[in-house]
Amino acid sequence: MLDKILYNTVLCQTFSPCGKYLIAGNIYGQIAVFDLGRILDPVVELLTADYNKPKHIHTFQSEKQICSLASTDKFLIVGSVNEITGWDWKSVVSSKLSKPAWSIKISSKCQIDQTDVNSLWLSEDEEKLYAGCGDNNLYVYNLEDGRLVSTYDGHEDFIHSVHGKNGQLVTAGEDGMVLLWDQRTSKYHNKLEPYKNDKLNRSDVGKWVGSACLGDDWIVCGGGPRLALYHLRSLDAVTVFDLNDHGIHVTFFHDDCIFAAGAAKFLYQLNYSGEVKVELPVSATTVYSAVLRTVPNKVLSIAGSSPEMDLCTTFNYRDQVLHFR
Amino acid sequence: MGKEEVSAKKRRKINTSSSSDVTKQNPTDVYKRVVEFEETEAQLRPADRDASLFKKLCQDIRQLFADIAELKNKDNEEAKEKINAKRVEASLLLVALKKLNRLEKVRTRAGRDALHKEKQRVDSTHLLLQNLLYEADHLNKEVTKCLQFKSKDEEIELVPVEDFYINAPADVSRADITKKDEHQLQLARLEWELRQRRELAAACNELVASKDRVAAAIAAARSRLDALAPHLKDVLKATKPLQECLALRLDEKRDETRTASLLPPPLFLLYSNAYAYSDVLGSNVVTVSISGDEDDARRLEQLHNIDNDLVASNDSDSDADNNDEEQNKKKRHHRTSKLSKQEKAEAKKKEVLRKHPLNVLLSVKVPDGTALTLIFSYLLHLKIIVVKFTVAQPKPVTGVSAADVLNGHCILNELYPGDTGNDSPHPATAFVLNSVGISETFQYFISEVGRPYIWAQRMCGLDFMSLVVGEQNINKVIEPSRSLSITTVENFILTLKKRLKSRVELMRELQDLESGKITPAKGDMTCPVRLSGSLTQWQSVGWPEYSQSPSTNFLISEGLVTPNDLLYRAIITRQSAKLVAMVALRSDYPKVAPIFSLTLHWNGTHHSGINDDIRDIERIINTDWVSGGDNIHGCLSNQISKLLTCLDILLETSGSSEFPPDKVMLNPVRGRNRVKPYKYLKQGAGVFVQY
Repeated sequence: MLDKILYNTVLCQTFSPCGKYLIAGNIYGQIAVFDLGRILDPVVELLTADYNKPKHIHTFQSEKQICSLASTDKFLIVGSVNEITGWDWKSVVSSKLSKPAWSIKISSKCQIDQTDVNSLWLSEDEEKLYAGCGDNNLYVYNLEDGRLVSTYDGHEDFIHSVHGKNGQLVTAGEDGMVLLWDQRTSKYHNKLEPYKNDKLNRSDVGKWVGSACLGDDWIVCGGGPRLALYHLRSLDAVTVFDLNDHGIHVTFFHDDCIFAAGAAKFLYQLNYSGEVKVELPVSATTVYSAVLRTVPNKVLSIAGSSPEMDLCTTFNYRDQVLHFR
Repeated sequence: MGKEEVSAKKRRKINTSSSSDVTKQNPTDVYKRVVEFEETEAQLRPADRDASLFKKLCQDIRQLFADIAELKNKDNEEAKEKINAKRVEASLLLVALKKLNRLEKVRTRAGRDALHKEKQRVDSTHLLLQNLLYEADHLNKEVTKCLQFKSKDEEIELVPVEDFYINAPADVSRADITKKDEHQLQLARLEWELRQRRELAAACNELVASKDRVAAAIAAARSRLDALAPHLKDVLKATKPLQECLALRLDEKRDETRTASLLPPPLFLLYSNAYAYSDVLGSNVVTVSISGDEDDARRLEQLHNIDNDLVASNDSDSDADNNDEEQNKKKRHHRTSKLSKQEKAEAKKKEVLRKHPLNVLLSVKVPDGTALTLIFSYLLHLKIIVVKFTVAQPKPVTGVSAADVLNGHCILNELYPGDTGNDSPHPATAFVLNSVGISETFQYFISEVGRPYIWAQRMCGLDFMSLVVGEQNINKVIEPSRSLSITTVENFILTLKKRLKSRVELMRELQDLESGKITPAKGDMTCPVRLSGSLTQWQSVGWPEYSQSPSTNFLISEGLVTPNDLLYRAIITRQSAKLVAMVALRSDYPKVAPIFSLTLHWNGTHHSGINDDIRDIERIINTDWVSGGDNIHGCLSNQISKLLTCLDILLETSGSSEFPPDKVMLNPVRGRNRVKPYKYLKQGAGVFVQY
């Protein structure tokens, strides 16, 4: 009988607003709090063997996986199964977790059909919380009072990711569709179906889209089909990235660069024309989460199906390996 | 010319004239007498006067010659006459000269003779002197030799003078004389010495004689005792029928206890405790016996006894034991070092690894008839217990891998955590091997001598742990501890029985698996649905093959699987899909669940390092297994049936037309990680969910 933590899979990560902590959630309903200050600028005298291990590990309900995380100035927002909870940062970084500051239940139709909160996205003004869920719907909550503002339905299978920019939203789903929404209306106004494009389709991996992301003029999405860059207005697949992967789970824009990762040995950094700029080797079999920040310092953390997480400060190579175990 | 003739005539004349007075005598005498006369004349006449006479004569002759010459010049008759007269005169003078000359010759000869005579005298005198000197020298030498002479008596150790005066009787010591005369003292002391020594020699002879008498008496007594033994044997033989009638096993027991007394202390402890234990439990579970060459053991025992005798006999019992061990050790070192010089390395090794000739056999049986016999041997020099074993099965085992479970050394492997028996537990072993120049470590010899399990040492009351913790001194002798042995023997037999039982069950399970049958334990509800895949191969594999598989890298690097584990390869097939599972069973299975490592061959090769679905299945198989107390048996089969279910789910959710969905699933995939529904929920007809 092996310790299940050896088969740990990290699904989501986020940084605390103060920048000192990295939070990671895994499939066993645990949240690990890493002290980045201690990891990035270690005091040699105080260095212990477990410096690259979590400062705290909080366990929620162990049967339910932590699907998504988001952070506001006040709260750490945790999306697990059937509910979204908000936690005071103070209690998160303390050694013992108290009760959640607030929680939102997502009603499920029947008892055994449970709803995963697969993806959380906060609007720029941090007023609204968008939750892409396992029941094919995108829920919008008002963070002020926890009220359900609206429900966006359109997907035919569960939603993998939500992202928004400039009043627009993009969602990617298991049904192979990437839907574009106006934030004000609850109806999608455009949709992409990458698997229907012969250049993108990979039938052995599937039609699902693991991640879609909005840029100023572009949408990048990938999953079962190949990673592709779409022009926002014309909705044409401008660039098809030919990567050696078995499914994309993470995509985002940063600094005129596209970051993409998934079931591959590397995290890829690509330019818009399709050239690979950096291949960053990763510990995880499949990357489910990569978070990046530039303030107060540059940190990129990559996690997935492995108890090890990779930490990069230059985005070009793996600096350190964190252990979530 | 004429002158010559004249002179010759004159000589004759002289001769005749001189000889005329001696002619009366015989002619030879004349010469003699002439010679004698001349000699005496020569002696009588002084030589210097002759010399001056000679000079004067020569002067006269010259004068005559000069006159003659002068006369010749005149050349007249007168002159001629004068010349003739002068001639005569000159001739006479010449005669005189001759005479003088002869006299001179005689004188010279006489002088020479005298000189010669004198010389001879000097020589002889000198010789005499030499002789005398030599003699003197020789005598001197003799004197020093005498002075240096050492008498035998100086070597004899004498009693000191004071003791001599005190002890010696007056007739020997004679103080009045000896006190003055050193020599007499010495003589007296020698005499006293002689007398004393004679007395002592006599005493010695007497003692030897008495000793011989006693020895003879002892021999006689011994021969009587020896004669007694056959009688006693006869008596014993006579009791045999009676014993048989009464069903008493007195003889056998007596034999065994006698042999047991020859066992080295650790084995004796083991024997006595195990014997006691088997007495209580009944011999159908545990039996103990002793095997080996009794005679050898007896010889060894005798060697020991000799060593014992060397040790001071007034030591307490345990001390004597201690010393005995030390003595033995020293002796061993001595012996081995001697050997290292003389014999080859092979002999050295053999000596170091020498076993005590007696072994203790301990066999443990489980109800189905399988019996494990452990052979405990004691390494005399390394002072550790090594174990070999044999397994007896009631019926032959079919299946290769199944048979291995009971036959390989693995049955005893890690009976207690960490106890692999791969190295000597005695900290001194390495030093002992080194000291005789053996470069190999003890592991090298394990296959030859057997395994030194720690439990074996503890069963024999040897606790090396306490040695390491207690004192730094490695050479301290370890005494077998009775209490340790007692507690360990019971514990061990129980543990071994449990292990044996579980191994027999595992063997059955493997036998089934090898024939492709999967028989989950009763009351197991994890797989009520039809399984489409089938187990097509179950085979044991070696460590190299196991470690080469890419899927096992992770487990090996985490240290979860070691070469000590039992390793198998299972192949599960369903149509074109082939799943290879490398299975690692820990020695203490089923306490610890087997570890699976999977590789799927379908649409390429997938393993947990590159494919999350396989990783998910591994997670389910390896970690979700419920370690309940009741269904502890058949856990391997349960895992395999679970694996079959997972494989079905994985293939059926892949959407491939080859594998039509057959099971009820709520969602084929769920969550961002696209997990397949591996968990079975007993709801309605049964449904598979993610979690």
